[in-house]
Amino acid sequence: MALTISCPNCGKRNGYEFRYGGEDKGPRPAEEGLTPQSWCDYVHMNNCVAGIQKEWWCHKNGCGAWFTIFRNTLTNLEVEEPEAKL
Amino acid sequence: MNRLTKLPTLRIDPSENRSLQYKGQTYQGVAGDTVATALYANGVRVFARSLKYHRPRGLYSLDGECSNTCMQVDDIPNVRTENTLLKNGMQVKDQNVKGSAEFDWMGFMDKLDCLMPAGFYYRTMHKPASLWPIAMKQVRNAAGLGKIAPDFRMKGDYTEIYPRAAVCVIGGGAAGMTAALAAAESGLRVVLLDARPWLGGCFDYRVSAYDQEKALYQRARELAKAVEATPNIRVFKHTAVVGVYNNNLITAFQVGGESDSFNERYLEIRATSVVVATGCIERPLLFENNERPGIMQVGCAHRLARTYGLLPGNQAVFSIGHDLGLEAAADLFDLGLQIACVADIRADGQDPQLLLALTKRNIPFLRGWVACEAHGSRQVEKVTLSTIDGSAKRQFGCDLLVASAGLTPITGPLTLAQAKLKYDMHTGYFLPVDLPAKTHIAGRLTGLQHALAIEASGRLAGLNAAADCGFDTAKSAAEAGQQLNALPGPERGTRLVSAPVKGRKSFICFDEDTTLKNIKQAIEMGFDVPELIKRFTSAGTGPGQGGIPGHNLPLLVSEYQARTGAKPIPTTVRPPLVPTFIATYAGANHDMCKRTPLHDLQKKAGGVFRRMGVWRRARYFSEDFSCREEILNVRNNVGLLDASTLGKFRIHGPDALKALQRVYVSNMAKVAEGRVKYSAMCNDDGCVIDDGVVVKLAENDYYFTTSTGRAGETVEWIRFHTRYDGWDFHLVNLTDAMGVINISGPNACKVLAKVADTDLANEAFPFSSYREFTIRKKIPVRAMRLGFVGELSYELHADASYMPALWQIIEEAGQEFGIRNFGVEAQNVLRLEKCHIILGQESEQRTNLLDLGLGFLWHRNKPDAKTVGAVALRQTEKDPGRFRLVGFKMEDPQRPPRDGSIIVDQRIRGYVCTARKSFTLNESVGLALVDAELAALGTRLEIFEDECNGKRLDARIVPMPFYDPQGERMKM
Amino acid sequence: MKEIQRQSPVQFKADAQKIAMRDNWPVVLEYSNEGRGPFVVDLTHKAKWDLQDKNLATHKPLGLDIPTLPGACAFQKSVLINRLNRTQCAIWHLLADAPALPGEPGYTDVTESTVLLALFGPNALAIAEKLTALDLMDPQKQTPFLLQGPFSHLPCQVVTLERGHGFDGGLLLTCSRGYARSMVHAILDAGAEFGLRPAGEQRFSAWASGLSGKPGSAQAPSVMHLVTTRENL
Repeated sequence: MALTISCPNCGKRNGYEFRYGGEDKGPRPAEEGLTPQSWCDYVHMNNCVAGIQKEWWCHKNGCGAWFTIFRNTLTNLEVEEPEAKL
Repeated sequence: MNRLTKLPTLRIDPSENRSLQYKGQTYQGVAGDTVATALYANGVRVFARSLKYHRPRGLYSLDGECSNTCMQVDDIPNVRTENTLLKNGMQVKDQNVKGSAEFDWMGFMDKLDCLMPAGFYYRTMHKPASLWPIAMKQVRNAAGLGKIAPDFRMKGDYTEIYPRAAVCVIGGGAAGMTAALAAAESGLRVVLLDARPWLGGCFDYRVSAYDQEKALYQRARELAKAVEATPNIRVFKHTAVVGVYNNNLITAFQVGGESDSFNERYLEIRATSVVVATGCIERPLLFENNERPGIMQVGCAHRLARTYGLLPGNQAVFSIGHDLGLEAAADLFDLGLQIACVADIRADGQDPQLLLALTKRNIPFLRGWVACEAHGSRQVEKVTLSTIDGSAKRQFGCDLLVASAGLTPITGPLTLAQAKLKYDMHTGYFLPVDLPAKTHIAGRLTGLQHALAIEASGRLAGLNAAADCGFDTAKSAAEAGQQLNALPGPERGTRLVSAPVKGRKSFICFDEDTTLKNIKQAIEMGFDVPELIKRFTSAGTGPGQGGIPGHNLPLLVSEYQARTGAKPIPTTVRPPLVPTFIATYAGANHDMCKRTPLHDLQKKAGGVFRRMGVWRRARYFSEDFSCREEILNVRNNVGLLDASTLGKFRIHGPDALKALQRVYVSNMAKVAEGRVKYSAMCNDDGCVIDDGVVVKLAENDYYFTTSTGRAGETVEWIRFHTRYDGWDFHLVNLTDAMGVINISGPNACKVLAKVADTDLANEAFPFSSYREFTIRKKIPVRAMRLGFVGELSYELHADASYMPALWQIIEEAGQEFGIRNFGVEAQNVLRLEKCHIILGQESEQRTNLLDLGLGFLWHRNKPDAKTVGAVALRQTEKDPGRFRLVGFKMEDPQRPPRDGSIIVDQRIRGYVCTARKSFTLNESVGLALVDAELAALGTRLEIFEDECNGKRLDARIVPMPFYDPQGERMKM
Repeated sequence: MKEIQRQSPVQFKADAQKIAMRDNWPVVLEYSNEGRGPFVVDLTHKAKWDLQDKNLATHKPLGLDIPTLPGACAFQKSVLINRLNRTQCAIWHLLADAPALPGEPGYTDVTESTVLLALFGPNALAIAEKLTALDLMDPQKQTPFLLQGPFSHLPCQVVTLERGHGFDGGLLLTCSRGYARSMVHAILDAGAEFGLRPAGEQRFSAWASGLSGKPGSAQAPSVMHLVTTRENL
């Protein structure tokens, strides 16, 4: 209820309009050299940062766009892109 | 009872009668009365009996801060009569009594308090264990407030509203009103909420001077008029804030007035900034029998007279700790109340004008004295006053004891907003520190008492709130700040926690009957933090939501523990801040569901509907839920099914094929013109999440279907899995745009041929192909020949708006063959006989493509596509210990196991996905997922059904499909 | 069987007085007892096109410009164009029959995908306020503007066409066709206290044609305060 998310098309909206798409882990790696362990890590392992993370959201009840935001997991509030990389 | 009808502060209309029924009699009240004040006007003093001890209880706060006056009104239990406006004809009953509130046979419980120390129910009645069911039954009968029948239904209109505001002001007293006016100067949208049915707060009922020209109540009305005349301030009265959430989301409940269309409604307000000006309630005074009927807080006594025209008693004693008590005493005296004595906890610090007022009226005044015991079995008759240290005592006869230790700020909304509360030594309040972003406080809540200071703080807060919304109010805010600083600041509060008593009958929480003694017991048992003590003794966890003990409990604990340097720690609150109806949370509660274009026609044809996901679908077409007739009709004749819920999509653009290759496991480049390609989508674990068919409409232009359950997520899924690629393709969701009719059965072609404008011969339109033509020269259709149910089938996709017409055309054409509808359950059995899977039924989270025997769909040689699922499939294809999908036949042809039954030997080896008695085969068959080890043909399976009492069912794995293994029927 | 006709998913329980046939759509032009507003009108028969392209600026449907920012709308001649996102816009033929769908692959005829309703007249926006938290009264927006979000708990496209005094005004609303009956039920229920009634296409055309080609008022709408309980009981 608390979280608001800024959709690039629709602006700031109630968090319940969106679906969470996980931490941003970059594009899928090339299959060359992938072990079951490393593939499973890409799909399922999360960094679980206690702080600001970049993550994907889909505006499923609105325009349907997929986009990333930065969110502080400690306050559960969206934040501006952080200057320093964590 | 005689009303004081000429007072200018009244909020009742004495000329308009309202009546209620209580104890078999009609009681008269007036418009504006609450149920409680109407009862009080008729001499009712004992309203209810308390939860544990069945002690008599009466009016105390007049704001419903405790359950003292909870009664049953019109079949609804636990109605807070102090907050409920009287409507003509209300039926009022007392609750939690054997007998009546006045004469409750359970009153003897009060003498048994030594058997019920703090937390006694955690520590008794469990040994021996056999005692507990008996004890529980007795406890249930004796405890609890209110009764309700399990089939009770709320009557009335409960709705919702979502007002938007730049600034939301909580509290419509002087501070809130000035804050709203200040914020509104900028033209911003302002919303103002107040829990009472009028604006005015603590000024509303007081005749003392605001300035040279007017009294406080006149100032309040002046402000209210200004507020209501301001077009960009929206006022919601009789609206209590229930929850406050991050990013200034506020929820509140509003009680409907006589001209409103709703009984109660839910408000959800997203504001940019918030001003909390909720004011104060009173801190209860703790002494022996401090909750007897006839004992009430200052505001309650004062407002009974000034707001409702009811003199609260005849002969009063006051035991107070702040100037409002002195003011009330003088004013009530002037209205006719006889006052035996005013005792003030404070040794000094009183407003000299107020002391003068008492002297002028010859009202005896005692400094540094406090009530220590109230006497009277059902109502107060006498009170013993004592010095603060207990060294001297005096007794006074009275029928009214006005008792109050001081004030308590209403910080609930701030606590919910995650502000921290810290004990302030000067005011004695728990004041908020670390306010959340864009939240401001004003008024008495901050410790201010002076009328002008209250207003100045409101104005400052309103201007700051407007600044949060981007308006430049720096200059006017600086001015307002200066004004505020020139006025008196927060006043010193009393810190007396209790009278000098042992506390056996000094109630710190009225709702839960928790006494001072109980608190000390809890501390001695080792509970050392107010939050724990609160939960262990249940103090503050009742309908009053902490209104009575919230401030006193931490003070008491701190005092009793006497730890050096330790400050009192407040307890927490959670939403809802006030008791609420579930009906209001439910609101309008419409069932938003999807219907196909054929819904009404199917209903008329006898369809029995069920909710399936978001859709309502016809599951059966008769009362026979085995669907025997429907099934055999499809096998031997021709049937009609509404398949409109299928997901349907158009994908187009230069990179459309790339996108399809990413999500489908097959080689989508091989979709031939005029042919239908069946494929599946997997997730990154290789597990099948969807299947469907793809048709190529033109270059870079495809039309594909998905399962009903996945239609809503398909676009999202495809976009998610291509989000890094920047491809140029576009998706259009046509799920609702087209309806689908499935005509299946050996006579399907004959029926369709009568109406289709095309050659339906097998050479012209073979199995697994796609054609576009018209029906009756009018309705364009996209047709596919597929075989889900294992018979000759045509799946016709047409504009949703043409569907009813199309249906009727086909039914008419099929009449000579006896065409019949079939529903989802019949389809389920038909496809089961063909061993065609339904995702979610024959698969679960861990089932991958290969487990289901669909490996033939997987095109391995497209690594550039990075097909979702390919990596996992490759990595796990040789893994042992996976499930396999198998078909089985029961030993007993009449006895299929229930769906979901487990397959066992010494341990669980799998489970039955779907099983049915097949009328076509005269066997009971099913599909199951079992350990690969057991998947060989001929293997015997033992099935354990729920509640089978150890008797297992026998089955054997047989080749798939069960029906028409050559697949000839579909290709006729 | 009778003549082949299309059927709207919206069937108001009201007496149709005048009906016209358009491309096999029986369009109700007028109902009896339409009242004086607010009104709800079924426009599902109106042609709607979806246009998606990597570079939308290269298209000029019916010779009209497509607005550039998501959420922006242009109501010109008889056509309303809504910009949905970077690569997609919706074209609704509100006041006249649509020409044939252009041949470019970017266009899809989505007339059938959604139910389209108009809600307008006195208190229309107060009705909407009971059904959605979307900020239709946002003073920073000029009509017409588009919001995509939940309306009665369903994902919808809401175009605010007009804002007048207080809560008067009007909007257009689409959601998946399958939800039509549920949505209409919810709207009629919310509108009951304001006297909402179904009306025919003529009522809509009379209102909407006055808005075509007009840029919205730049003023923040004056928000009428709703006094919800009587002051002097």
